[in-house]
Amino acid sequence: MSAQIPVTVLTGYLGAGKTTLLNRVLSEDHGKKFAVIVNEFGEIGIDSDLVVGADEEVFEMNNGCICCTVRGDLIRIIGGLLKRKGKFDAILVETTGLADPAPVAQTFFADEDVKKRTKLDSVLTVVDAKHVLQRLADSPEAKDQIAFADILLLNKTDAVSADELAKVEQKLGALNPFARIHKTERCNIAIDKILDQGSFDLSRILDIKPHFLPKEKHGHDHDHKHDHHDHDHHHGHDHGADEHYHDEDMDSISLSTDKPLNPAKFNDWINDVLASKGQTILRSKGILNLADAENRYVFQAVHMMSEGAFAGPWPAKDSRKSRMVFIGRDLDFEALKAGFKACEIA
Amino acid sequence: MSLAPLVETKGMSWFADAYTIGAYATPDSRYFVCNFGDGTVRILDLTAAADGFKVIEVHKGSAMCLSPDMVKGAFLSGGDDGKLVKIDVDGATEVVADLGRKWVEHVTATETGYRAYASGKDVFIQGKKKGDEPRKVTHASSVGGLAINPKGRRLAVSHYDSVSLWWLATKDGQAQALPWKGSHLQVTWSPDGDYVVSTMQENSLHGWRLSDGQHFRMEGYGAKIRALSFVKRGQFLATGGADTVICWPFTGGGPMGKAPQEFGGMMNGPPVTCVAAHPKMDVIAAGFENGKVIVGQPGSPRVMPIAEPFTDKENSAVSVLAWTPDGDRLLAGTENGDVHVVDFRAIS
Repeated sequence: MSAQIPVTVLTGYLGAGKTTLLNRVLSEDHGKKFAVIVNEFGEIGIDSDLVVGADEEVFEMNNGCICCTVRGDLIRIIGGLLKRKGKFDAILVETTGLADPAPVAQTFFADEDVKKRTKLDSVLTVVDAKHVLQRLADSPEAKDQIAFADILLLNKTDAVSADELAKVEQKLGALNPFARIHKTERCNIAIDKILDQGSFDLSRILDIKPHFLPKEKHGHDHDHKHDHHDHDHHHGHDHGADEHYHDEDMDSISLSTDKPLNPAKFNDWINDVLASKGQTILRSKGILNLADAENRYVFQAVHMMSEGAFAGPWPAKDSRKSRMVFIGRDLDFEALKAGFKACEIA
Repeated sequence: MSLAPLVETKGMSWFADAYTIGAYATPDSRYFVCNFGDGTVRILDLTAAADGFKVIEVHKGSAMCLSPDMVKGAFLSGGDDGKLVKIDVDGATEVVADLGRKWVEHVTATETGYRAYASGKDVFIQGKKKGDEPRKVTHASSVGGLAINPKGRRLAVSHYDSVSLWWLATKDGQAQALPWKGSHLQVTWSPDGDYVVSTMQENSLHGWRLSDGQHFRMEGYGAKIRALSFVKRGQFLATGGADTVICWPFTGGGPMGKAPQEFGGMMNGPPVTCVAAHPKMDVIAAGFENGKVIVGQPGSPRVMPIAEPFTDKENSAVSVLAWTPDGDRLLAGTENGDVHVVDFRAIS
C-alpha cells in the first residue's frame, strides 16, 4: 500500500445522476475495489461493501488563509479507511447536491496525512442536460460545481433536442474551459474515461485546451465574450487568443503568450494574484515556458492553495507556448492579462 | 554508538500483516492485548510468548480503537462495523454496543465504573450499573479523542473549536467548554488532573490549566502530533510530531514561557509517531515514522535502541507503544503490522 490511493470526487446537484454513476462504476467488471464515501446514509442503494457516510463538516485551517477550508470528516474517514490494508484500490467521494467542491479538494492538499496516502485524481460533476440551465440560473452551488470540475458528465442527453444539447454544451464549455465534457444518457461511460485521469498530477497536465466557443453562438443576453487578440506577435490559429467569458457572476479567463516568462516575475505575480484574489478564484492552471528552462513548468491552484513544478520536456510539436486559465468570480480580465504580459522577458 | 537494538537480544518479533491500532497490557503484566486493521484482536501470554499471539476475529472491517474496560482485566475494541466488543484474556467476547453502519472511533473507560465511546459527533457514556442505557451527548462536530481524568470522574472530548468536559456521573449536566479555535484531535489529562492538553490539526498543542483557566499553546512541530504521553509523576509531557521527542516541562505552573527538552531522533529525520511513558520511571519509549523504536529521557543524549527501522518496507510507522504496568516489557506495533515485544528485566 505504498502508492497513493486515487480519489475521485463526484459532485452534481440532486437528480443529476450521481448515484446512477456510482452504481455503474461499482458494478462494472473492472477488477477494482472501491471505498465509497457518501453524503447521506442508508437511503441510497449503493452496491458496495465499503460505503461510509460522511457529515460534510467544513472547517477553516488556522493558517491565516481564510479560504483554506477543509472537510474535517474526510480527514477522519480517510484516516480510518487506510487502516484496512489493501482492501481497496481507489476512493470515490460523493458530495451533496449543494456542496462546495473547494473544501473537498483542498483537504487533499492541506492535510499532510491525507496528502501522503491519497491523491486527488479528479473532480467530476454530473450535469443533467435537461435541467442544468435552470439550475445555473437559480443555484450558485450548481455553477460552482461546474466551474470547479475537471470532468463534466453531461447526462440525460436523450431528454433534450440536439439544439438544446448544443446550447448546454456551449454554456458548460464557457463556464469551465478546461473541463473535459462527456455526453451520456444514463451515465453510461467507460470508467477509464473518468477514473485515473490524473487531473491534479502536474506531470500529467500536458496541455490546457480551453474550449471557448465562437462568439456568434452565444444566445443569452447577459453573456458577453470578448476576444482580445494580442497584436504584439502573431498566432497561427485561434488557440493563442486571450479570452474571457463572463456569465452574470462567473468568469473564465484564458491567457497565452509565445514569449518566455521571467521566472521571478511570474512567481511574484501569481503569488500576488492568489494572495489578493484567491478567495474568488476557484481554480487556476498554467503550463509555462519559463526563460532558460528546458522543461515546461506546470502550475495549478485551488483558491489560494497552489503548487507548481517542472514537469518534463515540452511535447515535440509544441511551440513552447505559455498558457494560463483562471475560473472564478469577478475576475478582472484586463488586470490579469496585463499582469501576465508583464512577466514576459523583455 | 552502535548498540544492537534490544529486540534482537531480548525480544521477539511477529508480523501481523495488518495496521496495529491499539495495545494494552493486563494489570497483572501477564498479557498484551492488541487490535488490528484486519478486525482481529490478538492476545499474547507473556508466560508463553514463544507460542505467539492468540488471534480472535472480532470486527468485520477494521478495528478502530482499544481501551482497558472498566472491569479490571477486560478490554474494549471498537470497529468500523459499528460494534464495541468486550474481550477477556481467555478470548471470550461480548458485543456491548452496536451502532450499525457507524464507526466506533474512540473508546476509553475507568475503573471507577464508566465507559465512553464515540462515533462521529456522538459520545456515549455508560455506567457499570446493569441495564442502564448509555447517555448520548452530541457535539457540534466530529469527536477527535476522548480522555477520562485520573480521578475517573470527568471526560474530556476534543472536537472542532473546543474541548468539552463532561461529568461522568450526571445524567443531564451540560459540558464545560474549553474553547480554542481550530480542530482538536487527541486529548489527554496531566496525572494531577489540572491540565488538559489537545493536539491540533495545525501541528501544535493547546493546553488549559483548569485551576485558573489559563491557556497555553505549544508550536514548532514539523508534522501532525499523533502522540502525547505524560511521564508518571507529570513533570514532562512527551510528544511526537517532530524529528526528536519533544518533552514539555509541567512542573512549577506549567510549560508557559519554558523551552522543551528533547531526546532521540536526527535533525530532519523521520518524525516521532508514537510515545509512551514508562509506568514507573521517568523514561519514555518513542517510535518513529520509519519503524525505529528507542527508549530515552528528556534532556539526555543517551538513548537505548529497541528496534531498527525497516529499510525495505513501506508504511512501517510505529502506531502503538505499550508498557506492562510493572515496566518490564514494551510492545511496539507498526502500521504495516510488525509487532515487537522486548524484555527489560535482564538489563535493568
